[in-house]
Amino acid sequence: MLPADCSRRLVAELRDALDACAERQRQLERSLRVSRRLLRTWEPAETPAPQPTPAPETSGEAPSPESTPSSQDLKELELLTQALEKAVRVRKGISKTGERHKALSLKSGSAATSATTASAPSRPSGQASCRVSETKPPRGIQQTVVPARGLPESRLLSVGDRTHMGRGSRATKPGPGPRDQQIPPSAALQAPEAFTLKEKGADVDCWLPQPLWKPCSGLEGGSPQSAASLSTGFPDRILLRLPMAYRKAASRNSRLWAQLSSAQTSDSMDAAATAKTQFLQKMQMTSGGPGSGLSAAAVEAEVGLLRTACLLLRRRMEEVLSADPADCMQEYRCLLTLEGLQAITEQCLHRLQELRAVVGRQLGPWPVGRRPGASLPCGGGTDPLWSPQLLLYSSTQELQTLEALRLRLAMLDQQIHLEKVLMAELLPLVGTQGPHWLALCRAVHSLLCEGGERFLTVLRDEPAD
Amino acid sequence: MGRRRRRVDRGAAVGALPEAIAALSRTLPAGPSPEIFRRAKFDRPEAAPALWQLLFRVLSPLSADGASASPAQGEPPSTEAQVRAVKSELRSQGYPRQALAQLPEDGSQGSRELLLALAWLLARGPLLERLLAQTRVRLGDEIPLCECEALARPGPPVPRVEADGPVDIRHLQWLMGKLRFQWRKLITSQQEQCALLGKIHSYTRGCHSDRSLGHLSVAETELLRDAEGGQQDTVLGTCPPEASQPTFVPRIPERGAGEWELVARELQALQEELRGAAEPRRAAWEARVGGWGPEWSAVQRASREAVGLELAALQRAWERGGAAAQPHGPCRLVKSDAGASGGPGLRAAQVIEVLRSREACLEAVLCQLQRQCRQELARLAGALPGLIWILPPGR
Repeated sequence: MLPADCSRRLVAELRDALDACAERQRQLERSLRVSRRLLRTWEPAETPAPQPTPAPETSGEAPSPESTPSSQDLKELELLTQALEKAVRVRKGISKTGERHKALSLKSGSAATSATTASAPSRPSGQASCRVSETKPPRGIQQTVVPARGLPESRLLSVGDRTHMGRGSRATKPGPGPRDQQIPPSAALQAPEAFTLKEKGADVDCWLPQPLWKPCSGLEGGSPQSAASLSTGFPDRILLRLPMAYRKAASRNSRLWAQLSSAQTSDSMDAAATAKTQFLQKMQMTSGGPGSGLSAAAVEAEVGLLRTACLLLRRRMEEVLSADPADCMQEYRCLLTLEGLQAITEQCLHRLQELRAVVGRQLGPWPVGRRPGASLPCGGGTDPLWSPQLLLYSSTQELQTLEALRLRLAMLDQQIHLEKVLMAELLPLVGTQGPHWLALCRAVHSLLCEGGERFLTVLRDEPAD
Repeated sequence: MGRRRRRVDRGAAVGALPEAIAALSRTLPAGPSPEIFRRAKFDRPEAAPALWQLLFRVLSPLSADGASASPAQGEPPSTEAQVRAVKSELRSQGYPRQALAQLPEDGSQGSRELLLALAWLLARGPLLERLLAQTRVRLGDEIPLCECEALARPGPPVPRVEADGPVDIRHLQWLMGKLRFQWRKLITSQQEQCALLGKIHSYTRGCHSDRSLGHLSVAETELLRDAEGGQQDTVLGTCPPEASQPTFVPRIPERGAGEWELVARELQALQEELRGAAEPRRAAWEARVGGWGPEWSAVQRASREAVGLELAALQRAWERGGAAAQPHGPCRLVKSDAGASGGPGLRAAQVIEVLRSREACLEAVLCQLQRQCRQELARLAGALPGLIWILPPGR
């Protein structure tokens, strides 16, 4: 058994570590819940998604018998190919209205749901028209696919209903003109703030040029599920549009941040910076003593760094001393390395003495009971770019590597701290021989030297006789 | 010409001062009115309480000890408590003037000194930006690159029943094992979250009105989904203001000065060992090389440069000099296919490199600590003869 105060301290440290880990886990799980909920509507992995391809139907698609889907799928595929060709032509076409008629006729050929028929009578404004007409064929495609597959009307309408309801609740909001003239499947579109659920076009060719898709909002009645399950080369993506109020606020926000950061790079910032340093120096002088302006936390942080430095220097020294120099040059380099290490060590010692003096003179008795790094320098204060920077990643693997590294660094930090604490508490215990010393020694060795993962074996060396 | 410009600038500056003060009083939390600032300039006592309160609010999220009242708790602490907290926090941040420490604790005097303290805080660092960063709504999926913000926030104090009485060392082993297992669980959860994030980002590509972002974040997607349910007005309010993860903040050992002495001892021991290793070698080398010709000097110079570079790299490993080049603070994650070399923003690949080098440094530190433990234990165990110590395999 360990002495009481030692036990208390160590258990407290380990429990702190466990709490920190548990807190991270809680936050992660919160984010996971949110993300899973969001993705559930796009990828109903549990519920069987309707498969448009001739692949065997997943269970749950009751109405159509096994034989019909295949012929229907073939018809679908034909219509799809035609529509795709038309879409490509439309994209490159000039006359917008002609295309619209074409698209309408395409739709009328299919068993359109109520959602699509509502779109016929609307007259889009000029801006929206070119946008809408270009998206018509893809929408038409989607419309043909969905009913032909025998997708139960309820599902399609349920999604549409959802959007209907959502929109209806915002009916009180006033809207700008062009919105009213969209071609939404729902005739109940009142509020302009309706975000729009729209399926993505066929392939890259059908992507609209960026400036055009902004003002438009063609609402599809399509269900996200069908979008995700279309396997005819449609990228499974959904277009959601943020509400107008949010977009306005967000654009104003980013404009202000841009203003802030541009203001920081102008000349006046240099003048401000010099004024600041002069002010700080004057403050320092009038305080009656040449202090170094270091905070207690900064001092502690530096001492920590010096301890790390000591460890790394010693490690390098051991490497050099254990290596056998093969020739003169290597010998010389060893010598130079050792002398260089000695110089750096002296610098560190000197710095340590300086810090001691700072603490003694300026900050009073050594500060205890503080968390280190509370105002960690960290290059802080120099570059106040607190607007959220962007971090671009290109693939999920990259993101996973990045996050894994971050976690590993946090874990290593924690391990190093625990190692130092355990060393400070347990090594003295091993030094004093007590009862069950061997067991203690073995346990301490495992905790300190193997991270608690492996154990050594102790054998009694019995004489042979 | 220069003189005239100075005069013009001063005139412009004087004119801008009232505006600046008005803006300041608007942005600061519990911001006192400009009138208070003016009175404080003349050291009027009635301005002091407001300034004490202001300093308390400004410093409290940054102060490490839990004495500051978090907004979640009940009523704010008393004036005396606020004054004490402000004094101690300013002192530990290195505020140079002694006059502040001598102000009375009832908070009735010293408004000019407090004004100076506020100015000092503003001059030292990006105080306003930091306050703003703490209260702003996080719209994007943010990943904190540097842990300083998280460390600055103390987090809710966890009431814990301390284990009284002695425990067996096996209890410690059990706790360590539990910790290892939790980390493993954390890593897998994190990987899953990354995969989900990647999916959401790619599904919502093209939806964001801001071109440079290109896709929605989880918060924004949630905004849409919840708005769908008709709660659009409250949607912005549901964006979590603080989503950063706290890092492990180590508990302070009760003896603070012990660290200093430990480091001093270790450095001195190291210095002795280095001297003991280097001096004989230098003597031996000089003895050998003494007669060699000038053609060696070029080679020697090359060696010196090479060694110098190596040692500089070693020094960088602990000095974190490289970290200054990297912006700290949370970054918004953006999935971008092109990885366009132009344009703003960090690239994940670069960040990964920096993190890897830091990982190598930390691993080296941990290895070194473990090696020292091993040596120490071997020394202690060697005192007892008649035992064979078989080390675990697979090192």
